[in-house]
Amino acid sequence: MSRFYHFDTIALHAGQAVDGEFGARATPIYQTTSYVFPDTDTASSTFNLERSGHVYSRITNPTVGVLEQRIAALEGGSAAVCTASGMAATYSAIIAILSQGDHIVASSQMYGGNISLMKNTLPRFGITASFVDPMDIDGFRAAVQDNTRLIYGELIGNPGLDILDLEAIAEIAGEHQIPFMVDATFNMPYLCRCFDYGVNMTIHSVTKWMGGHGVAIGGVVVDGGNFDWGATDKYPTITEPYAPFSGMNIWEEFGPSAFATRIRCEAMRDIGASMAPMTAFLLLQGLETLSLRMDKHISSTKVLLEYLQAHDQVAWVNHPDLPSHSGHELALKYLPKGAGSIVSFGVKGGREAGKPFIENVELASHLANVGDAKTLIIHPATTTHSRIDAEALVAAGITEDMVRLSVGLENVEDIKADFEIGFRAAKRISDT
Amino acid sequence: MGFSTRQIHAGVTPDPSTGSILTPIYQSTTYVQKSVDEYLEKGYSYSRSGNPTVKALELKLADLEGGAGCAAFGTGMAAVQGVMLAFLNAGDHAIISDVAYGGTYRLCTKVLSRFGIDFTFADTSKPGEVVAAVRENTVLILTETPANPTMKTSDVAAISKIAKANNLVHAVDNTFLTPYFQRVFELGADISIHSTTKYMDGHNATVGGAVICKTQELHDKVAFIQNSTGSIMSPQVAWLTLQGCKTLSVRMDQQSANAMAIAQFLESHPKVEQVCYPGLKSFAQHELASTQASGYGAMLWFEVKGGLVAGKRLMDNVELWSLAENLGSVESLITHPVTMTHADVEEAERQRVGIIDGLVRLSVGLEDVEDLISALEEALEQV
Repeated sequence: MSRFYHFDTIALHAGQAVDGEFGARATPIYQTTSYVFPDTDTASSTFNLERSGHVYSRITNPTVGVLEQRIAALEGGSAAVCTASGMAATYSAIIAILSQGDHIVASSQMYGGNISLMKNTLPRFGITASFVDPMDIDGFRAAVQDNTRLIYGELIGNPGLDILDLEAIAEIAGEHQIPFMVDATFNMPYLCRCFDYGVNMTIHSVTKWMGGHGVAIGGVVVDGGNFDWGATDKYPTITEPYAPFSGMNIWEEFGPSAFATRIRCEAMRDIGASMAPMTAFLLLQGLETLSLRMDKHISSTKVLLEYLQAHDQVAWVNHPDLPSHSGHELALKYLPKGAGSIVSFGVKGGREAGKPFIENVELASHLANVGDAKTLIIHPATTTHSRIDAEALVAAGITEDMVRLSVGLENVEDIKADFEIGFRAAKRISDT
Repeated sequence: MGFSTRQIHAGVTPDPSTGSILTPIYQSTTYVQKSVDEYLEKGYSYSRSGNPTVKALELKLADLEGGAGCAAFGTGMAAVQGVMLAFLNAGDHAIISDVAYGGTYRLCTKVLSRFGIDFTFADTSKPGEVVAAVRENTVLILTETPANPTMKTSDVAAISKIAKANNLVHAVDNTFLTPYFQRVFELGADISIHSTTKYMDGHNATVGGAVICKTQELHDKVAFIQNSTGSIMSPQVAWLTLQGCKTLSVRMDQQSANAMAIAQFLESHPKVEQVCYPGLKSFAQHELASTQASGYGAMLWFEVKGGLVAGKRLMDNVELWSLAENLGSVESLITHPVTMTHADVEEAERQRVGIIDGLVRLSVGLEDVEDLISALEEALEQV
C-alpha cells in the first residue's frame, strides 16, 4: 500500500490490488493448478525467478499471495509464505536455515507440536534442541552452543501462559549472530508486533485467531527482513550458491526477503506443504475482522477473569493480565492491549471436579483447538495428558484440576451462565 | 470442433493477468468501476447481474447446446421458472408434458396458477394431443423428453413444427440426455432447459440450472428474468459445474452402457414384472428414441413382481445403490418416485400418466457394472 495505514485498514486492504480483469472487489479464488505462459522466454525466466509470476500452485498462487502480503504487512515484515498448517510453517522455517549437526535453543513452554517436532522429529535428521524455562534468561545464554543456529520461543507460552522477554532473548541472539524466531499465534501482530522487539521471523497458526472461525487449517512464516545473513557464514542455505536455481545466491538476489525466498524455493517447491487457495480465501475473510474480534476476545477475557477470581469453586486463575502472574510486568510491556484470550483455571475438587465441569457446560465446546469465535474448553488432565501420572503433569505445568479456556465471542453473560451449570455439576460430585 | 473438445475448452480462456489455466472463482459481490463514464466497461457491476465465473459456464453451455446464449440459475426449478416468467403473462396458457418432473408439475399447478396462468398437461408423446391442446392464448410448450420418471419419449421435431405453425415458443427439458445425446435445437426447439445438478455437474456436488436459447432475442428475455428475479447461480457452483462438464461425454457414454447392461439383466430376471429403458427393443418408442437421440441415457425404471410391497423391500435392502433423490451423478441412485420425487403429484394424475406405485427408478452411475448388477441380484433374491 502506498502510505502508512492503521492495523484495521491494513487487515482489509493490504496485498490486494483490485482484480484487473473485471474489477471484482473481493479477491478471486484462483482454484487452479497451473498458469499458461504467453511464450517460452517468459516461462524460463519465471522458472528461474528472474521475473515474478506464477508457475504452479504448489509454489505460488494469486489468492494465497494476497493473504501472504496482507499478513506480512500486518506484522511489519518483508515477506511471508503461507503453509498448509501452523506445524508446516514451523517445520518449513526451520529447515530453510538449519541442517544436520545444527542446534536450536528453544523455550520449554511451547505448544506440544513444536516441542515434539524439535524433540522427536528433527533429531532424526541431525538437528537437536535444548529446552530452557522461558523465565530463565541466563539459561538461554548458557544453552547457546557453537552449533546453535536458531533461538525459538512463544511470546505467550502454551499452556502455562509464561511471557518470554523478547528484547532480552533478541539481545542474546544478536550477540551470537543467530536469528530469533517466535511462534506468535497467541499474540498475533494485533497484540504485539514482535519485529519491533528484535525478533527476526514469526510463525503463526492462521487457523487460530487470524482466521478466527474454526473453518480452515493454515500457517504462515513471516520474514522480518531484519537479519543480516551475510554477516556470518553460519547460514549457507541463504548465502551459498543454490544449485537447483543455477547457483543463485539468495541473499544477494533477495536481500531482506532471502529467508522467505528460501522457504518458497525449498519447502514449497520440494516438500510442498502449501496452502490451498480456498483456505486462503476463507482465512482472508476472517482476517478482515481480526481487530474487532480481538477487542471483544480481550474484553470478555477481562470480565471472565474477574468472574473466575471471585468464584468460590475456583482454586486458582492463571492469565498474564493478573498482577499475580509471574510474567505480568512483561505482559504490560509487550501486550498492552491484553495478553490474549487463553485462560487456565483450577476447579476446586481436582480431577474429579474438573471432569463434570467440562461435561456439563453446554455453550462452551469441548475440543482441542483455540482461537475460535466460539468458546472452547478442555481438561488437559483427562484428555491430552490423561496417560501421564500426577508428577509428570506438574512438570508439564498442568495440574489435575486445570481447565484451559479459549474465550469466544458469545455474550459474556451467557458464558458465565454456562459456567454456572458446570460449577453446579462439579459441586454435586465433590459433595457426594 | 468436436463435442469432447468443446466441453473442455468452450467458454474458458486463461486468466489474462496470471495465466491461471482455470477460470478463477470470482466470489465477489461487486466490481470496482474505473470512472462514472466507464461504468460497466469491463462488463460487470454486481454479481446478481453477472459474474465472470458464472459467465464462463454460461458460455460453455451455450456452446455445447449450440444456442445464442445461456442464463444460469440457482437450481433446475429456477431455470424452469425463468422460462415460464419470461414468456407467460396472466391470461396466457402453456402446454406441458403430462409426465414431467414433479417439481415442474407443482410449479405450474400450485404457484403459477395463482397468477392467472393456465396449463394443460398433455401427452406430448402423441403430437395430435398437443395440437388439440393449443388455444388462442397458448404461448409456450414445455416438453420433457424422456419424461421423468416414466421415460415416455416425445417427438421434439413434430412438436416444434406444431409450435412454429402456431407461433409458440417450444422449450425442451433436456436434462436426461444432455446436448451430448440429444440436439434439441437441430430438432427445431427454441429453448433447452437443464438441471445442471444432474449430468453437467455429475458428482452430486451442487444444485444448479441453466436455460439456453436458440436466438439472442429469446435469450435476452430469459436473462432479463434471471437478473430481475435474482434466482442466480453462485460462483462456487458455477466453478464446480465447469469442472464436471469436462467429463460429460465420457460419463454419459459409460453410464449409458451400464444402464443398458442393467436393463437387460432386469428384463431377463424372473422376479421382474417389467423394465422400461429406451435402449431396449421392448421399449414402446424404441425407434423414436433411437432416431431422435444418439444415446439412450442412464435412467430407467422397473417393477418388481409383487408391486409396491416387493419394490419397497428391494429399495430398503439393496446394497451399493443409494436410496436418494437426484439423478445423473457418478453414484448410482435408487428412487421411489411415488413417495419421493413425485409425491406432490396427485394420485389420480400419477395413475393417469403411468407413475405406478411399484415403479422403482434407477439412476445408473459409474461404478463397475458387475457390482451394480450383483447388488440388484442379491436384493431381488430377498424379495
